[in-house]
This record gives sequence, C-alpha cells and structure tokens, in this order.
Amino acid sequence: MKSASAPLLAWGCLQLLLGAGLAAFSEGAPALLFLAAAAPVLCLAAWNRVRPASEDPRLLPSLSVPVVVLALGVALAALGLTAGLWLCLVGGEIALFGAVWLGRELKEERRWGR
Amino acid sequence: MAGGAAVALPAERAVGWLASTDHKRTAAKIGVASFFFFGLSGLLALLMRAELAQPGLQFVSDHAYDELFTMHGAGMIYLFLTPAALGLGLYLVPLQVGAAEVAAPRLALGGFWLYLCGGLAMYSGFLTDSGAGSDTWTATIPLSSSTHTPGVGMDLWVIGVGLAVLGSLLIALTILLTIVRLRAPGMTMLRLPVFSWTMLVTTFMVVASFPVMVVAMALLLAERHLGGVFTGATGSIAYQHLFWFYGHPVVYVMFFPFVGAVAEVVATFSRKRFFGYRALVFSLLLFTALSMAVWGHHMFVTGAVQNQYFSLTSHLLAVPAGIEYLDLIATMIGGAILLRTPMLFALGFICQFLIGGLTGIIVASPPLDYHVNGSFFIVAHFHYTLFAGSLFGLLAGVHYWFPKASGAMLREGLGKASFWLLVVGANVTFFPMFFLGFEGMPRRVPDYAPRFGDLNLLSSIGAGVIALGILAFLANVWISLRHRVPAGEDPWDGQTLEWATSSPPPRHNFDSLPPVTSHAPLLDRREAKEGAPA
Repeated sequence: MKSASAPLLAWGCLQLLLGAGLAAFSEGAPALLFLAAAAPVLCLAAWNRVRPASEDPRLLPSLSVPVVVLALGVALAALGLTAGLWLCLVGGEIALFGAVWLGRELKEERRWGR
Repeated sequence: MAGGAAVALPAERAVGWLASTDHKRTAAKIGVASFFFFGLSGLLALLMRAELAQPGLQFVSDHAYDELFTMHGAGMIYLFLTPAALGLGLYLVPLQVGAAEVAAPRLALGGFWLYLCGGLAMYSGFLTDSGAGSDTWTATIPLSSSTHTPGVGMDLWVIGVGLAVLGSLLIALTILLTIVRLRAPGMTMLRLPVFSWTMLVTTFMVVASFPVMVVAMALLLAERHLGGVFTGATGSIAYQHLFWFYGHPVVYVMFFPFVGAVAEVVATFSRKRFFGYRALVFSLLLFTALSMAVWGHHMFVTGAVQNQYFSLTSHLLAVPAGIEYLDLIATMIGGAILLRTPMLFALGFICQFLIGGLTGIIVASPPLDYHVNGSFFIVAHFHYTLFAGSLFGLLAGVHYWFPKASGAMLREGLGKASFWLLVVGANVTFFPMFFLGFEGMPRRVPDYAPRFGDLNLLSSIGAGVIALGILAFLANVWISLRHRVPAGEDPWDGQTLEWATSSPPPRHNFDSLPPVTSHAPLLDRREAKEGAPA
C-alpha cells in the first residue's frame, strides 16, 4: 500500500457497501445520505490519483493575518443571523476584506515561489 | 548604524502567535482553547453534581439545570474532546510522517479561529436574558424550535455549534491532506505510525459526517426563524437522522486518536514493536466504516429506523474493537514494562474504556435499549467511554508528548497523584450511575426520588475527587514549565520520527531525517546499532 489513494478508496467502498445494505433494508433518505457521504473521500482518492503530490519544495507562509480576518468576518456574519442585518453586513464586509487580502497574499507568495 | 539584534515588540509577538501558520503553534492554540472550554464545562458539571447530591431542588431552577447539562455536554463534545483530538493530530502527524509543514496551514489556522468564535458564541448565551442553550447537546426538534425554546441564547448556541464544527472540519481536512500528500520519502502507507493511522481514519469520518452537521445547524436556525423546515413528526425524525449521522461518528472522532496515542505509549513503555500492525490497520478501516453505519441505534425508541440493520452493525463493532484490544495486550505481553505516568494513563484507558465498550453492547440491543434509554445508565455508559476512556487516552498522550512540545519533563510524582485521583474519581462518580439508571432514575432532571439519594451523594463526592485530579494535573504543567527539567531529544526511547528532532521541534520540524524502514524507524535504528558488530 504505497499510495494514499488505496485506503481512501477502500474506506469509500466500504461506505458504499454498508450504504447499499441499508438501502436493501429500508427505503428513503437515510440510505441516500449514507451513500452520498462516501463522495468526499472517493473524490479525494481520485484527485490524489490524477494529480500526485509534487516533490518540489514549497514556499511556506509564517504568518497569515488575512486568514484570521476572514474567519472573524465569517463568524461575525453568522452571528448577524440572530443579532440583525447590520452585523451580517459588517461581518460580510470584514470577510470580503479578508478574502481580497488573502488573494493578494497568495498571489505574492506564488510570485516569490517562481 | 552598527550591528544590532531585531527585538519583537509584545504586540508583534502576539500577532506572531495568533496569526502564525506553523502547525505546532496552531495546535498549541487549539490545545489551550480546548482546555479552557474543558475547565468551563467541568465547572458546570460540578454545579450539576452539587445540585444532585441531595433530592429536591437545592440552588438551581429547572431551567438553569437544563442550561447546565446542555452547555456541559455541548462544551465537552464540540469544544473540548473533538478539537483536542484534532489538535493533537495537527501537532504530531507532520512530525510522524516526516513533513516540514502541514499541507494547508492557512486552512488549519482559519479552522482554529472559527472553532474559537463558535465556542465563545455558545457560552455567550449565558449573558442573554433567555439564558444559554438548554435543549441538550442534541438540540432535538421540536424542543429546540423557537416555540419551545425562544430567545437569542439558543440561536447563539446553534450558530456557535455550526462554527465550531466547521472549524473542526477544516482542521481535520488539513491533517488528511498532510498524510495523503506530504509523507517523507520511504513513508509508505504501511509504514505510517499507529497514531497517524488513527488520525487518518478519524479524518475520513470527519469529512464524511461533519458537513452534514453544519447543514443541520443551518437548517435548525432556518426552522427557528422562518419555520417550515422540520415540520411534523417526519421533520423531527429527519432532524434526528441528520444529527445522529454526525452524532455517532463524532464519538469515534473522540476515541480513535486516543487509541493511537495509547498504542504509541504502550509500545514505547513495553520496549517492544507494536504487535499486529497490519491487523490493526485493517481493523481501523473496518471499525471507522462500521461506525458510520450505526447512527440509527440512537433512534431505536422512535420506531422509525430499521432496528435489525442498526443493531447488527452496532454489534459488529465488537470485532475490530476486539482486534485492537488484542493488539494492545499482546504488545505488553513479554515486554519490559515501565510504569511511568503515560503508561499508567494508557492502562487506565484500556481497562476503563472496556467498561464503556461492554455496556455499549447493551444499548446496541433494541429490547435492552428500550429499558435504559433516557436513564442514568446512558450517562454512565458514555462517561466511561468519553471520560474514563478518551480523557485518560488524551492524558496519556499529553504526558507522553509534553516533553517533545515544551522541551521540559512533567513531574512523575504529581503525574501519578493526578492519575490515581482521576481513577478513583471517575469510578466513584460514574459506576453508581449504572445502578441508578437501571433502577429507573431518568437523566436530565435536577430532582429525583429519595431512594436514589445515597448513590447520587456518592457520585457527587466522586466528582469532587475528579476536580482534585484535574487540579493536580494543572499544577504539574505549571510547575514543570516554571522549573524546567530539560527533556532532550528523546527522553522515552521513542520509536517514531517525532523523537528524531529537537524538543521543541524547529519551525521546519527536521534538520535531517533517518531512513524510514517501518512504522517504528527509530526502533529499527536502535536495533541495527545493537546488532552491528563492534
């Protein structure tokens, strides 16, 4: 088992098998929920198979303030769902600011990596 | 200007910590935050046990008691054990697989902040007029609808849980990608250390089940504000399916990483290679796949699930669990066992989790489950798995890897004192609950019949002993950091790669890596040296 895709695939297939068992026992959404849950792991296995990891060294960020800003913005926007539209908008703006800042940071990182 | 050294100002240092993408710092932040929430949720448990020490209402109202057990359970599950398990993995997996960094450091950092905000949102409910969430850690519909639980406090609980679960999902995804994409040369999947394998299968369950919980919380919030989402009897059942599809796997998310930690500790302190490595790997894959297929056993009493299917899958869990226990015990047989503090906690985990596991067979059988459902028996069962099991596994890991992360040894005397206090406390607190539940004492009530008084008093005394054990552990950490006994690179004669670097490890984790020839490369190296001619 050299590739990481093998356990991902094995686990995903076990999920499908157990989901099929539930579908045979019952009808309705629970079996579908179960079968669909195997998708992320199977997709990851396929992606890892198609695009194996590069062995080139990576440029590592030591700090990322925009990620913190983005996460705080998302959290504030979520809290706005109960506190009111104003907090949704404030959180949304902070998240947008963080996302743009993060985009610039990633662009800069790629430029330095070349 | 002549030469000089750059000095970081306190504010810069703070930003450096809070926004650092170093996986070790992110994991440390998760560790501190999760222990903070453990402290808060533990205090709520002490309040509950104080109330339950005598029959009758002592000092909390019915509603306040609802808040206490809801926030205690939710805090321990969403904010302590799950993030602590993932934090341990985030710290150790890159070191064990020989990676310089995690695959997506920003994802883990973002995950931490979402989790922290979620936790603060949940607890901020106590500051609102309506009080904190009070609908049990499952927030079952229709109890959690705005009709039955109006107010901002419950909304904050729902949003907080959604954010915390989303944060945990991002952290787990980072660990998964690291194992899949960043292993050192020679580190094939069948050379991954046991702890990393347990983290891998844990992250499988997280990526399959946690998104469902985020969606469930979003739908619950929509139900509370807009209505029409979970209507009628089918709506309630639909919510339970969504919740338990997350709610059962999360129990194993809080279990497998600690099985891995205990397996590393047992191998190291038995001075032996882990027994039955391949059998363990395949049992882990089977165990985690099956544990995704048992959520319906929480719904036996609804009459709306296929009891035969869920009872069968629940009982099948005993097979891979048996393989894991066999491997752990066989590793110790014939070993030169050193009873240091991490090994004591590992043995505590093995013995006490067994009680939780065996009583799990009772609740996996529908006729028996009908009798004990909603009683204190269930409380005893899951506290034996999560407290007497998982927490002991976590503490085994903390005592084992603390020297690696901090560069300082924990004190053995205080470690052993905290272990024995916790063993006595856990068993005195939780064992009487089996009898209380079997005799018919319902859970989630502040008052009870006088005939349950003696066992409840005993249980409350046990809770006090647990508090002393936790205080002894915290004192140990404090003293060991203030008066440091240097740990060196490898104080335990460890077997895996994290012991091949300095304590604490540098930013890039390794200056050089030893060859990886098995799941225990440092043991291979030692054996090669011992076997080499002089």
